[in-house]
Amino acid sequence: MGTALAHEILQNSPGLTACLLGNLAIVRGALEAGVQLCTCYPGTPASEVGDTLGRIAADADIHFEYSINEKVAVEVAFGACLAGARTLSSMKHLGVNYAGDPLSTMPYVGVEGGMVIVSAGDPSAITSPNEQDQRHLSPSLFYPILDPATPQDALDMTRFGFELSEQTRLPVILRPTTRVCHTGGMVEFGSLPEKKREIAFEKDPSRYVPIPINARRMRQELIERYARAAELLSRSGFFPRTGEGKHGIVASGVGYAYASQAIHDLGIADRVSLLQIGGYPIPGRILDDFVRSVESILVVEELTPFVEERVTLAAFHADRRIPIYGKRSRHFPLAGEYDPDLVEDALRTYLGLAKRERPAVPVPDLPPRPPVLCPGCPHRTSFYYVRKIFGKQTVYCNDIGCYTLGYGEPLHSCDLLLCMGASISQATAIARVTGERTVAYLGDSTFFHSGLTPLANAVTNGDKVTVIVLNNYVTAMTGFQPSIAAQADAPSPPVGEGRRSAGLSIEQAARGLGVQEVFSVDQFDEESTVAALRQVKTGDGVNVVIFNSACVVHEKQLGVYRKRRQFAIDQEACTQCSLCIRMLGCPAIHVHEERFYIDENLCEGCGLCVRVCKQHAILR
Amino acid sequence: MERSPGSCRILIAGTGGQGVITAAHLLADFFVQRGRKVVSGQLHGMAQRGGAVQATVMIDCGIGPQLSSGGADVVLGLEPVETARALPSISSKTTVFMNTAAVIPYLLSLQYVLGEKSAHYPSIEELQQAIRGATSRLVVLDATALAKRAGSIRTVNVVMLGCLFGSGLLGIAAEQFLDAFMRTAPPRLADVNRQAYLYGVESGESLAVSKEAQ
Repeated sequence: MGTALAHEILQNSPGLTACLLGNLAIVRGALEAGVQLCTCYPGTPASEVGDTLGRIAADADIHFEYSINEKVAVEVAFGACLAGARTLSSMKHLGVNYAGDPLSTMPYVGVEGGMVIVSAGDPSAITSPNEQDQRHLSPSLFYPILDPATPQDALDMTRFGFELSEQTRLPVILRPTTRVCHTGGMVEFGSLPEKKREIAFEKDPSRYVPIPINARRMRQELIERYARAAELLSRSGFFPRTGEGKHGIVASGVGYAYASQAIHDLGIADRVSLLQIGGYPIPGRILDDFVRSVESILVVEELTPFVEERVTLAAFHADRRIPIYGKRSRHFPLAGEYDPDLVEDALRTYLGLAKRERPAVPVPDLPPRPPVLCPGCPHRTSFYYVRKIFGKQTVYCNDIGCYTLGYGEPLHSCDLLLCMGASISQATAIARVTGERTVAYLGDSTFFHSGLTPLANAVTNGDKVTVIVLNNYVTAMTGFQPSIAAQADAPSPPVGEGRRSAGLSIEQAARGLGVQEVFSVDQFDEESTVAALRQVKTGDGVNVVIFNSACVVHEKQLGVYRKRRQFAIDQEACTQCSLCIRMLGCPAIHVHEERFYIDENLCEGCGLCVRVCKQHAILR
Repeated sequence: MERSPGSCRILIAGTGGQGVITAAHLLADFFVQRGRKVVSGQLHGMAQRGGAVQATVMIDCGIGPQLSSGGADVVLGLEPVETARALPSISSKTTVFMNTAAVIPYLLSLQYVLGEKSAHYPSIEELQQAIRGATSRLVVLDATALAKRAGSIRTVNVVMLGCLFGSGLLGIAAEQFLDAFMRTAPPRLADVNRQAYLYGVESGESLAVSKEAQ
């Protein structure tokens, strides 16, 4: 069961062992805890948590939604837990930033039913614009945070998280990272609950309304509840110690998996004591005992020296002047994810072992293979026409989605990027201070996630911004989750799990916010596309163009895709001007021995290259 | 370095759409059903848009989700450049199975038209030589041609799995994996998949024989 299909994790089969992806282990843990309501906003590396929950929700009798954004996801899950339900909310690390407002007050109010927030970290920023460390939320906002090293940890910690949450009345964060989320590992199932708890909301405003007079009281209680979390964590079994050696090693997250692997491979188990940090706040007694029992400590943790600082403090309080190594001592880097070599090398240095000889294998110069917009992708057509009408000088503010691939050669459609929804705010700012019209690009999912407020802001201020909504009816980048924007008049894919309505209209939303000029067109229709773009370019204030065309890959998945046409290059007519590749960057067009070809297996027949070719050399 | 008996670390490398992750799942399933402990790591991220993809299947090797350098016992390279990209995981103990059919990165064409005339796809000989610099155990086959002959270019991953089991390297009869695979393969594609696997087995067997003859 390396892939553990969704229905298999629904079986009540305690004791079964299987190879489960970390994200699926989280879902299994939530099921074993009797979770009743789940919300998510997709984001790699957490996406499979929500997707799996969406698939099994009906069978598992769970309320599930792909929420419009992480803030709403957290608020919905929190509200439901106040009515006594056990709830889970899932997102990537950046999601907690967007949900920061509710997150910061939820611990004050406290939960009734247990609540677990999955916030998956991305060391090395493999699929993200940053590699923030969510563990700092624990001391700053009073969250117990669980930090799994393996899929088994992910399952056990998720299940335990609901208990911890109820016993402390604090929402709990589970913080897996990419190498836990996307690793399949052996997992032993527990049992599923026979019945779920009763749900009823009982009014008690003094308990649930954090107006200042209540908030000040809540703050006092919070200190006790957070201390109680440390106490419960100390008995959780998530801080195992192995070995009695004088060389202490303290490791968290996937660093623990690498450290235990390296200790085994180096055969040094008798010389070291290994302590896993499975959560925060780290129980004081555990650290105190550890610093007293060893002569030195190496801390193995990714991202910031969070554990290292706590270990240093524990040694200070215990009056133990022992060397503590980690990031500060440069045994480990301050940025990027760890790997087995890095951890093994640090352990060798720490224990004074000979450096490992790694034969230098000459690696030839290999062509890189970066991600690229797919052949036939409607975004390419949008970028092409917008740039044709708006020109090279216009500032293009891009957003989070597949269309970020408009960055660099050859599309030049991403001059600025920051975070979800920032395209419109940044376009607003540049337009206001330069006086020039700017363009903001964002997709349908991002538009509803966080595009509405900056759009309203731009309308209010009358900024000269053209907002281009790239509506492909799906959240493509993170694995084709259903989008909230499915228009009734469009050849829209099915609504999909987690959506109850036929979707919202981007056009009506824009008009409702006061945008006067709104065009909704199919970008493969050159005439209406160019006409709309010419008009908005010379328009007043904020205007909006919505480009509606389905994602080709998603259509293929749904089985509704029809290849439009097949094109080929007439070698007689082609002058090798290379305009097709220089303008479009379509993977279906390639050069071989100075001649240009269209790969018939890759071409989706979108026909954009035909419009670009001045020699009329591209034919059906 | 200590290794428990029977442990095996397999790295599968290829490009988006070649079925790297599927091959890893099939292997993981197979070994789990045989009572082995499996850890399988995958790195795709944004790679689903035509990028490089790698997956590991580590059998009875502990809990670490990644290979250390030179740590692969077997590399299944579904594409030549992606096989060479796995070189940091290859040592003299590694057996490498390499598909010789290239998937040319789109970026090369773009670099070419932008004036970087030196940008090119390395020759298969050059890549083979680079791999042979690390290990003499290199098995090459045109898995893409075999997949096409079986009826679908999408079965390159299955051909490569057939070659792995056909080589006898894992000490497991090729039929055993086929039986398990056929229980999970969608019926519609069963014949194509079986044929692809058997073509792979055939070339794995003959390559293994020729190696013994040397």
